Amino acid sequence: MDSLNHLISGFGVALQPLNVGLAFAGVGTGTFVGMLPGIGPINAIAILIPVTFAAGIPPESALILLVGIYYGSQYGNSISTILLNVPGTASAVVTAIDGHAMTRAGRGGPALAISAIASFVGGTLSIFGLILFAPLLAAWAIRFGPAEYFALMVFAFSALSSFAGGSLVRALVSTAFGLWLATVGLDPNSAVPRYTFGRIELLDGMDFVVVTIGLFAVSEVFQLLEDTQSGRGAPSIAGKVMVSAKELATTGWTMVRGSLVGFLVGVLPGAGGTLASFLAYSTEERIAGRSGRFGEGDIRGVAAPESANNAAANGALIPLLTLGVPGSGTTAVLLGALLGLGVTPGPLLLEEQPDLFWGLTASMYVGNAFLILLNLPLVGMFVRALSVPRWILIPGVAALAFVAVYAVNGSAFDLVLMTLFGIVGYIMRRLDFPLAPVVLGLVLGPLMEKNLRRAMALSGGDWGVLFDSPIAITLWGLALASLAAPMVLSRLTAEVTGGPSATHEGGS
Amino acid sequence: MSGRVDRVVGAMLALSGILGALEASTYDVGFMTDPVGPKALPYLVCVTLVGVGVTALLRPRAYVVLPDAAALVRMTGAVVAFLAYAGALPVIGFFVSTTLVTTALSLLFRGPLRGSLVAGTVLSGGLWLLFVELLSLPLPIGDLWIR
Repeated sequence: MDSLNHLISGFGVALQPLNVGLAFAGVGTGTFVGMLPGIGPINAIAILIPVTFAAGIPPESALILLVGIYYGSQYGNSISTILLNVPGTASAVVTAIDGHAMTRAGRGGPALAISAIASFVGGTLSIFGLILFAPLLAAWAIRFGPAEYFALMVFAFSALSSFAGGSLVRALVSTAFGLWLATVGLDPNSAVPRYTFGRIELLDGMDFVVVTIGLFAVSEVFQLLEDTQSGRGAPSIAGKVMVSAKELATTGWTMVRGSLVGFLVGVLPGAGGTLASFLAYSTEERIAGRSGRFGEGDIRGVAAPESANNAAANGALIPLLTLGVPGSGTTAVLLGALLGLGVTPGPLLLEEQPDLFWGLTASMYVGNAFLILLNLPLVGMFVRALSVPRWILIPGVAALAFVAVYAVNGSAFDLVLMTLFGIVGYIMRRLDFPLAPVVLGLVLGPLMEKNLRRAMALSGGDWGVLFDSPIAITLWGLALASLAAPMVLSRLTAEVTGGPSATHEGGS
Repeated sequence: MSGRVDRVVGAMLALSGILGALEASTYDVGFMTDPVGPKALPYLVCVTLVGVGVTALLRPRAYVVLPDAAALVRMTGAVVAFLAYAGALPVIGFFVSTTLVTTALSLLFRGPLRGSLVAGTVLSGGLWLLFVELLSLPLPIGDLWIR
């Protein structure tokens, strides 16, 4: 019952007018950027980080806004997927199968409705999971020393590299690139400048906001410039955005199971929404057996992945907040935001800053309530935004990105760096190198190095300390096991889609 | 082009790993800070780069699709516009330079000339109001206008 008391005081934080407003702004922005191709939550969060720093709002309020974008984008994601068959992120690929089939059959309205409802179920059920498991994990993680943290971070890297989609070798290159970027600047232990090549601007290191916006947003602009011809007309919703009681009844357990699967997978680093939605979909397909029309517009084929990827997004907040170890590009950016706000996530966060943790979880209920409003009765408004022409939308996004990058240090040099990272990001996309591991490497790299050096200092230089405790050995084992995951995943993907899946960079 | 691009990339990765390790080998600390020192992580990264670079050299992937010439021209235009923006921002200030760069980008996305100008101006003005007036985030006014 301790958690309940905490949650009630959390609502005291979440229901302050500023925080309600920020939750609304966050989830509205999230729905919007999740829906529009070319922005994505990772860019929106990276762009807003320097703005929240500059505006000087308290950390819990900033987090309510940024995390609102994060889970709100999971809702918006499905709108363009269902209506236009363009999944914004890899986790929405499965939704496209039956969702777009429903649209083609003139049932786009019910598809949008069930997707919003399933997202709500997944979103709210998984907050229970967050409340239940975060304190448990935190209590357990108190025993983690630097060696365990180091092993945990290696696990995060190997898991993300495995699940990033595509070749493991390429994902390792991306991870190495991110770690290399993390070493640029003054070494915090010995004050030796590393890879600065005499540039004063680089002594402070690479700012993750500049790198993220360059790699993701600017490279996306370049990619969209490849094909400026294809405009799309305004999509229209066929049928009312509503589901019948019967449809709700058939999908009820589907959503509960999807939420459970999604939450459990989401807690694991790296896997996230993509694996969660595939697993939930194939589970339901199997349960439905011959009665199902999966692949041809079965409503359960929308409910399962949507509840799963929303639950996974919230599950991923547990390792982020209680261990300080993110498992995806977007949560890595959130970790960067936390550190920038002066918050150190970890097992002590819940005790030392209860307002922040419980205020955030309480605000997620507020945010999900807003989201169901925005995505059921008001979804038409968002759909109309899909018809804004690119020549207005993209320059707008670019200008916001410039403001954000400039605001980081008040330096125009960062705009040059951003452009260079845009070129690098574009080339990486072209050559199928995943981008998310770069951001994870950049944000987590300094922490990993710090823990390694601390562990070694404590052991007096004995490398054996890294494999000394059962926890550390388990984590090393998990790291090794996750490297086998791509094979399992590709078999699963082939089973669901009948072929290799299209993955799209954007982070989930 | 069967894997030629991949081989080039692999060679570049391996080379940068070697160069990075050579650079890291100069990171000497006069006193003992910790048993690991500043070289360990760079070495780890460089060894990984050499490893994956050699793998790509030996087992290249077959396909790489290059964008067509017109697309490359548009992208080069955007790069030039962004770099010019970085140079111009402190001199002519946020409003003018942002209007110019967003208009240029609109045109690259085949926006109509007048529409692009209007959109660019409204956008820069709106962002100035939002960030400078409302959120008091300092953006450059421009040295040219101050003098």
